[in-house]
Amino acid sequence: MGTIKFHGRVLNPGSGEGPAVVEEALSFYGEVDPKTGTTVSGKTIHGRILVIGRPRGSTVGSYTLYGLKYYSRKPLAIIVESEADPILVAGAILADIPLFDKVKGIMERVSDGMIIIFKDTGEITISSDG
Amino acid sequence: MYLTKEEERILSGYEGEAKALAIKTLVKVGEALGAERLIPIKHAHVSGISYGTIGEHGLALLEELVEKGARVEVPTTVNPIGFDSEEPSLMTQIGVRLDDEFIKGQMRIVKALRAMGAQTTLTCTPYYLPDTGFLKPGDSVSWGESSAILYGNSVIGIRTNREGGPLALMSAIVGKTYYWGLHIDENRKPTTGFKVDHNEPLDEVMAGLLGKLVAERYAGVRPPYVKVALRDELAVKEMLAAVGAAGSLAMIYLDGITGPSIDIAKLERFETIDWRELASLYEEHKPSEKPDVVFLGCPHSRAEDLARLAKLLDGKPTPKSKIVITLSRSEYRRFRESYPEYLGVLKEKAVIVRDTCLIVSPFGRDDRGLTVVTNSYKAYFYLSKRGLKVGLSTIEDMIPLLYM
Repeated sequence: MGTIKFHGRVLNPGSGEGPAVVEEALSFYGEVDPKTGTTVSGKTIHGRILVIGRPRGSTVGSYTLYGLKYYSRKPLAIIVESEADPILVAGAILADIPLFDKVKGIMERVSDGMIIIFKDTGEITISSDG
Repeated sequence: MYLTKEEERILSGYEGEAKALAIKTLVKVGEALGAERLIPIKHAHVSGISYGTIGEHGLALLEELVEKGARVEVPTTVNPIGFDSEEPSLMTQIGVRLDDEFIKGQMRIVKALRAMGAQTTLTCTPYYLPDTGFLKPGDSVSWGESSAILYGNSVIGIRTNREGGPLALMSAIVGKTYYWGLHIDENRKPTTGFKVDHNEPLDEVMAGLLGKLVAERYAGVRPPYVKVALRDELAVKEMLAAVGAAGSLAMIYLDGITGPSIDIAKLERFETIDWRELASLYEEHKPSEKPDVVFLGCPHSRAEDLARLAKLLDGKPTPKSKIVITLSRSEYRRFRESYPEYLGVLKEKAVIVRDTCLIVSPFGRDDRGLTVVTNSYKAYFYLSKRGLKVGLSTIEDMIPLLYM
C-alpha cells in the first residue's frame, strides 16, 4: 500500500500525524459537543485529524471550537476540502488548532482511521496502510 | 496580507497578548477571504453573548481575553442577553424559568464585556441608540447580529460584513477589520433587482414575508435592489430582519432608502414578485388559534411601536392572552419620557422586558405546545424551529386575537 500526497492552503500552521475522522459537511455549533469532543454522528474528533468536505452553519461555531480547547477535546488538525469560512478560521486561531483548506480531492481518498501526516508547508499525506 | 509597521508591532505582542491574538484572528480570516489589508473601524456591535448560546466555554474565552488585558479601541455596543438584567424575575411572568447557573454565567459574560470597555447596551437595535448617532454614511464598522447588519448597510449607509461570533469583538479590540466584501464600493452595487407588482405600501408582516422571499430567491453576493413601498419604519425594520434570518445577505438596496441612488436601467436582471404569491404567504402564516402569547419586539421595539399598541388597548378590558414586549433600556426610557400617557395602559396589560427577547432567552423550551402571535417574520422563523406554533399578525390585527 502506498501513500497519497495532497497540498493545501495553510491557514493556521502546524505539523503532526494521526488517524482521520471524516465528515462531509459540519456545523460546529449544534453538531459538535465541545465537552465530549464528538460529532452529532457519534464520531470522536478529539486527538484525531478532522477532514471536512465543507464547513457550514451558525457563527457561534467559533466559540464551539474554542470550547474543544477549553475542555481539552481538540482535534490534532482540521483539513477542509473546499474553503474554510470565517467562523472556522477564527475558531481555529482562538483554539490554536492547525487548519488547512483547499485540499482538492482529499474526500475521495480518505476514510475514517487512515493515518494522515500534515506539515507546516501545507503538505498532507495519507498513508493508507496506517 | 499587507500590514503596516504599527500592525506588525501589535501582532508581535508589543501592545499586549489580547490585542496580538485579536489582530492575528483578523489577519488570518482576512487572508482566508483574500483581503489585502486592514482598515480602521468607527464602531463595533458584538452579538452572540447569551450564556444559553455560547455556554461556559464562550464565557471562558471572554474571561481569558479580559485576563490578557483586552480593551476595546472603538465605541462598542452589545446584543441582548437571556433576561432583563435589572429584573431577572420578570422572566417567570413569561414562563421562562432561569436557574442560578444561567443567571450567574450570563452576568459574568456582561461583566467581562464591561471590563473590556464595551457599553452593555444589551440590544439588537444599536441603530436606535443615541450612542451610534455619530455614525455617518460610508463609515466602516464591525457589526454582529444579522438584522442590525442589514439595517446598518441598507438604511444608515454604514459599511459592515456579517461579523458573527467573536469576530466583531476582535475588531473592537484592534479597532480595525479586514478590507473585504461590503467595505469595498464596488461590492455594494446591485446587479439584480426585484419589484413587487403592487403599489399599496406593505405593512410589517407583508414586508417580512417579502424579505424572506427575496433572501430565498436571490443567490448572488451583491446586494439585490428592491423596489417596493413600505408602510412605515416598522415595516422597514421587519423586512430587513427577515432578510437576515432567511439567508446570508448582509445588505439589500431599498429603493428610496438606500443611498447613493443608482441607475436602475443598468441592472442586469429585474425580477417581478407576484403580489398574489405574497398574499398567499400572508394567508399561510395567519394565526389559526387563540394565542397564549402575543409578542412584539423582534428586533427590539421602538417607543413609537409601544405607543401604537397602547393606543389600541386604551379602554379595552384585560386581554386573555399574555402580551410580551421586548426592547432596549434606552427605548424604554424614551417611551416613558415621550408617551407618559400610555405608560399606565401598557404596564397594566403587558409584560415589558428589557435587555432580552424571546429568541435569546430560553422562552418556550419547557413548553413546546405554546401558541405565539408576532408581527416579526424573524421571530416566527426562530420560534417555529423551537417547536412553538407561531402566527403572523400586524399590531392592529393583534387586538381581536387578544380577546378570542
